[in-house]
Amino acid sequence: MNRRILISLYKKEILDILRDKKTILMMIVVPLILYPLLFFGAMYLTSSLINSDTQRSYIIGYDEYSETDGVISFFREKAPDHDYKLAYYKGDVSGLEEGLADVFISRSSLEGKPSYEIAYKASETSSQTAAGIAEKLLTEYREKLRSEEFKKLGLDESEFMDPISFEYKDMSSNEENAGYLLGYIVPFLMITSILMGALYPAIDATAGEKERGTLETLLTLPVRNMELIGAKFAATSTVAVAAAVLNMISMSLMGAYFYSTVSAAADSEPIRLISYLPAVLIMLLCVVVFAMFASAVCLSACIFAKSFKEAQNYTTPVMLVFMICGMAGMIPSLELNGTTALIPVVNIALLISSLFKLHFEISLIALVLLSNVAYSLLAIVLMTRVFSSEQILFGDGAGGMKLLEGRKNMKPGQIPGIGDCVLLLSLLLLIILFAGSLLIVRFGSWGLIAEQFLIFFATSFYAWYIKADPKKLFMIRRPRLAAVIGGVIAWIGSYLIVQVMGYAIEQLFPEAFASQQNELVSIWGDDPMWLLILSSALIPAICEEWAFRGFLLGSLKNRYKKHTAIILCGLIFGLFHLSPMQILLVSVFGVVMAVVAYESGSIFPTMLMHFLNNLSAVLISKYRDVLIEKYDWAEDVPLYAVFIMAALGLLFTALGLMLVIKKGRAHQDKADCIE
Amino acid sequence: MIIRSEGLCKSFKRLVKDEKGKKGATLQEEFYAVDHVSLQAGGGEIVGILGPNGAGKTTLLRMLGCLMQPQSGRVIISDDEGREISDPVEIKKHIGYLSGNTRLYQRLSARELMHTIADIYGMDEKEQNERIEEISKVLDLSDFIDNRIERLSTGQTQRVSIARCLVHSPSVYIFDEPTLGLDILSSESIIDFMMGERDRGRTVLYSTHYMEEAQYLCDRILMMYKGRIVAEGTPSELMEKTETKNLRETFRKMIEEEI
Repeated sequence: MNRRILISLYKKEILDILRDKKTILMMIVVPLILYPLLFFGAMYLTSSLINSDTQRSYIIGYDEYSETDGVISFFREKAPDHDYKLAYYKGDVSGLEEGLADVFISRSSLEGKPSYEIAYKASETSSQTAAGIAEKLLTEYREKLRSEEFKKLGLDESEFMDPISFEYKDMSSNEENAGYLLGYIVPFLMITSILMGALYPAIDATAGEKERGTLETLLTLPVRNMELIGAKFAATSTVAVAAAVLNMISMSLMGAYFYSTVSAAADSEPIRLISYLPAVLIMLLCVVVFAMFASAVCLSACIFAKSFKEAQNYTTPVMLVFMICGMAGMIPSLELNGTTALIPVVNIALLISSLFKLHFEISLIALVLLSNVAYSLLAIVLMTRVFSSEQILFGDGAGGMKLLEGRKNMKPGQIPGIGDCVLLLSLLLLIILFAGSLLIVRFGSWGLIAEQFLIFFATSFYAWYIKADPKKLFMIRRPRLAAVIGGVIAWIGSYLIVQVMGYAIEQLFPEAFASQQNELVSIWGDDPMWLLILSSALIPAICEEWAFRGFLLGSLKNRYKKHTAIILCGLIFGLFHLSPMQILLVSVFGVVMAVVAYESGSIFPTMLMHFLNNLSAVLISKYRDVLIEKYDWAEDVPLYAVFIMAALGLLFTALGLMLVIKKGRAHQDKADCIE
Repeated sequence: MIIRSEGLCKSFKRLVKDEKGKKGATLQEEFYAVDHVSLQAGGGEIVGILGPNGAGKTTLLRMLGCLMQPQSGRVIISDDEGREISDPVEIKKHIGYLSGNTRLYQRLSARELMHTIADIYGMDEKEQNERIEEISKVLDLSDFIDNRIERLSTGQTQRVSIARCLVHSPSVYIFDEPTLGLDILSSESIIDFMMGERDRGRTVLYSTHYMEEAQYLCDRILMMYKGRIVAEGTPSELMEKTETKNLRETFRKMIEEEI
């Protein structure tokens, strides 16, 4: 990468963005004008509402019983003490519907002690307020009657009614209290403002360039993809950071104004703003890192679009997801931990929220920041790959989804495209998220089997619909013995590697890891062993391989270079396990299996590997306690054992893959000759 | 400097009517936009690439300019000492590419645009200023060089476009229909420019639909049809071969023969 080119491209992008009126409007006018306007508007509205509410008079309706009981006369007597006016309306029916009264008090039972009903309409503010007033007055009335009774009996009311007394004492500091409120709202505003800042430049730099025809000009220059994307990414991030900082300034000015007016009115202890300094500093870091992440995501979404309009369609779901995840700070039970620190967007929301509560946990802060940087880099690397694809530069965008066309239009024997993979994966995700979860909760192991069959059928249906050649796509081909043996050896190796990695993760995030183990065991319940093996090992080995090493790898290897196809296939397989703790582990295993499938040209060795892997997981989970007891398995593995395991794992993996690759090539050549 | 291509191929997919299928059914079919094209140009000549719409001219020029990767085959530039360059990014340093699709950044001024481009080509500040001054004189940009491009007229924009691909003094120009939709004055300035560069020993590869222009301008003509080069020669050679009086008729006759 040439730094000089990167810098000159970056300068060009920034100049181009800054000279665009729309960007300036989004970046400067919105935060600096809109926030104060909204804020003062809201203040004015509330105060005028409060004023109109206190000034108006409420109509309290009553029936004849409550009048004769003396309730109403008590009301009349007490009314001057309060800052509202009351008018009275006497009727046989409530009159609420007709608007004759805001609240209606009636005696609900005529026998026994007097009991009253406060009829009101929760859908109307004035009626709610009036009901509140009525309740307060009735309570006062009850207390008045009670103390009269006590007096009659000659008892000390306070001693009788309150044998003990207690009071609250808030131990949190003023700063913590204010931080709690800030942590509630700031993450959301922050995330939204960064997203808004990144969105427009991202669209402009990708789809906008395509639409205006300047992209082709750019491509005539001796610029590498990495430089091009790097400059766009840096420029978008800069604008997003600038927008966020402007937003922060605008918000803090509003906050300061609000604080000074409030603290002038209430004589509480002043908040020491200095205690938020670390939070603000770390938050600035968060802003930078999150601006990078948001820019990377926006650019990735827009890079497929041919026009501004199309780009806006792609970014709408991104915006929704970001905004919903941005509200994570408002969910009380959700806290920043090893798991949530890895979930994009949610982690930033939770981190900012925890910072304002003055919680500083360095390891979690580092994890959030690092994971965001890692996600951004990943997105950029993928983008440079995608960007060189001419289908996206000169073609019709992301590539069609064949399922949306009639089957009669399909060309027999075709290979699914990237659009098809995206569509099928979304379908599978829906199956796993909704149908699968429901089935498993309802039917346990049998539900698991049903979910796997759904995956199998969805994949097969898609392949059938587009008239793909099943033998070719799913690599149904008798494997050579060497490939099978190599696959098994590679599995042993990758199993060891995954164990070591699992051990490392367990050391880092013990809680999250433990909860995962329990989840699996709870699905199984008391099912017999054969059912567990069938539902958790055999059937997933067939059905998941069918979808991932079959359909997905078969399509990817047609579009991308070997390494890209294998790594993408492994990563997507990892992501589909939908648990942050597992993504990395499963991805490693997925990549190894993808190599075996790719090199052997057959899906069967990986089915065997997958089966062995799940089988060992079933056996170990089921007999964990027995094994620990019988063989005296140490809970704390010595460090040298871990290293030996890692070394052995790498050795076995390499050995197995070598066997598969060498023998697999010979096999493929032979097969090609026959064809 | 000599630019040459060896067996360039590029295929695209398109939908065609399915004759066997039901009414309205379509099939996706792969076709070669450029089909094994080998050519060579260099040493002060203007090579015209002619052909009907969809013949593959733009795709060929895009591959020659390294904007597009060929499916097979390669593009090579060899310099005067016979050194061969095949890395696309390195090749681009010797090429000035201009087409109807290479638009300019509307929000920058011509000067800023040229500075950015010169920066990318690795020229230092002094070199940049001298070069921009020179280009501005040749193409008469001085009146509007500091205005934003969005405020310029079509003719002025076209001159800036040429200025853009001149910045790094390329030795090979690739122009894809450079005079399309321009008035006589603007297209004349482009034609003058191409002739001037040829006289300076530069090579120009260009495609056009204006036969009179090609006949007058080109030293050599490549006739393309369905992705292949079907005829090659000087305008007069081609006219002789087809026994026609002007290039317009030559073109028509050749295409009719191909069909």
